[in-house]
Amino acid sequence: MNKIIFLLTAAIVVAIIFFVPPIKGLGELAKIIFFHVPTAWVAVVAFFSSAFFAAKFLRTRDFSADELSARAAKLGFVFVLLSTISGAIFSKLTWGAYWNWDPRQTTIFVLILIYGAYLTLRAAVTDEKIRAKVSAVYSLLSVLTVPFLVFVLPRMYFSLHPSPISSSGVEMDSAVVIVLIAALIDATLIFIRLMRKGD
Amino acid sequence: MKLSRCRFDAVSAIVRKDFLLNLRRRATFAAMMMFALTATASLSLSTGGALLDEKFLAAILWVVIFFAAGAGIAGTFDDEAQAGTLPTLKLYGDAQAILFGKMFVAFLSLVALSTFILPIFLILFDVGVEKIFLLLVTVLLGLIGLSAAGTLTAALTTSAAVKGGLFPILLFPVTLPIFLPAIRLTEISFTVAPVDSSLLVVVAAFDAILILAASILYDYL
Amino acid sequence: MTIQFDAVTLTFGKHKIFDGLSLKFGCGKIFGVTGANGAGKSTLLKLAGKIINPDSGKVTFPDEKKIAALSPEMKLYDGLTARENLKFFARLRGKILSDEKISELGRRTGLDMKTFGDERTENFSTGMRQRLKFAILLAVDADIWLLDEPTANLDDAGRENFFAEIQAAKPEKIILLATNDKLEADICDEIITLPL
Repeated sequence: MNKIIFLLTAAIVVAIIFFVPPIKGLGELAKIIFFHVPTAWVAVVAFFSSAFFAAKFLRTRDFSADELSARAAKLGFVFVLLSTISGAIFSKLTWGAYWNWDPRQTTIFVLILIYGAYLTLRAAVTDEKIRAKVSAVYSLLSVLTVPFLVFVLPRMYFSLHPSPISSSGVEMDSAVVIVLIAALIDATLIFIRLMRKGD
Repeated sequence: MKLSRCRFDAVSAIVRKDFLLNLRRRATFAAMMMFALTATASLSLSTGGALLDEKFLAAILWVVIFFAAGAGIAGTFDDEAQAGTLPTLKLYGDAQAILFGKMFVAFLSLVALSTFILPIFLILFDVGVEKIFLLLVTVLLGLIGLSAAGTLTAALTTSAAVKGGLFPILLFPVTLPIFLPAIRLTEISFTVAPVDSSLLVVVAAFDAILILAASILYDYL
Repeated sequence: MTIQFDAVTLTFGKHKIFDGLSLKFGCGKIFGVTGANGAGKSTLLKLAGKIINPDSGKVTFPDEKKIAALSPEMKLYDGLTARENLKFFARLRGKILSDEKISELGRRTGLDMKTFGDERTENFSTGMRQRLKFAILLAVDADIWLLDEPTANLDDAGRENFFAEIQAAKPEKIILLATNDKLEADICDEIITLPL
């Protein structure tokens, strides 16, 4: 798996530098989008993975599920930070400001808060049985904010952020689309690889 | 039927018990009220005379309520754990009855808090309320969600035996789906803008979700 | 009606308290649980009452049966009076106590409700609190009694009362009594000694 990930990552980097046309008027730095989108995707995947393993732990009391839940959250925290920073840079290039509390920025910031709260809770509890239990409960409680962030928030506030699914594909160069999809797959593989660390 | 009757009895017993104890030992309650008063007064004092827009005022009101509520309900289970009464309560009381009893107590004390702080807030910041009914409904709906999430979080921090500071950190992201629409609705109530009733539905829906989630998750703590 | 332990294992931190413990408790007998400090007497009672769960193995517990317990860990509400405490815990179990019932419970446990009933328990001595806890135990009418050093702070008269009540209740209850006290051990029908 390591080799595949390495080759894929290398190929994507080469493709981004040499084959993807520069985005009009934004310069080379705007290519950070190929980093931003996959990391944001993994941050969300990790969040759901963490909640999934939390539910599994509460059902089975299997401590390996707790470990996976914790690892997903730790990885998610790193990815959400990377995504936020790269997103802020892209935001500066396109909208002229690093931060403006766009619904998507709010969403990702709430994810940072939840990950932060979850990891602080884990750090604060020393007894591993109790730690597993309370962090699983918190993980499932915090996942309830997702429907709000996804469905309600964007309707409450006007968003400048391009919609990830709809129309955007049409306007994009096919090379961009292919590289972006490859980058998403690559990032997901990296996440899975990191989840399996230690096996 | 008999079971639900027994639960209702137990819930009302817990509410009455906490009411009596709070009446005799007013420390927690007084701390919550004083926190709200101090926060409101210091904000009003430091922005004295400045013209604040409705959005900002609405946000201030909810921030004050959130942190005062934190001071009031963080100790819901911790106080009992420290007094050594929690094991007795858990042994004799049905878990769901304890949760809902405590949730109701939290809600009542937050209603008392808001009854106290809302008029003071409106006077000190010289806010003109255009839609008083909307404001009251919004506050009540907001407090329901806050009590549900707050009670579960209080149970969680007690179970984890972690001290005070963690409570607001854990509670805030979870109550955000209540806060953002509530702040918007509060802002609307201060102005002549049309009411967006879908936001009321959002808050009410999340109240229901949080109550249900608290009920399910409490059994695992 | 039985409580059954099947291969119960429980660890606290690195310390293994029970390793594959199998036991069975039924009606009509007083089961004494003895052992040195830290052997897990109180923990065994908590497992029996499903207050804590084992790491592995199973505790089978009769459905719909109610537990009452006496333990030094379980405190009463000091801000409430004796009568209020008694009424509150009975109410949690859906029972409404009349004044006559309260006086009767007071008589049976040796706590004069006329004198002390309306006094807050914060002024009570340890022995008086124990009598009140004992009255609560009787008031809630449970099927399972988990007793942890139940007479530790009682005087001779208090012990006599307690022993009489426990013998009278024995036929239709599962009774577990954790103790290191000679007199308490003497009333048990069967003794389980936990190794350290």
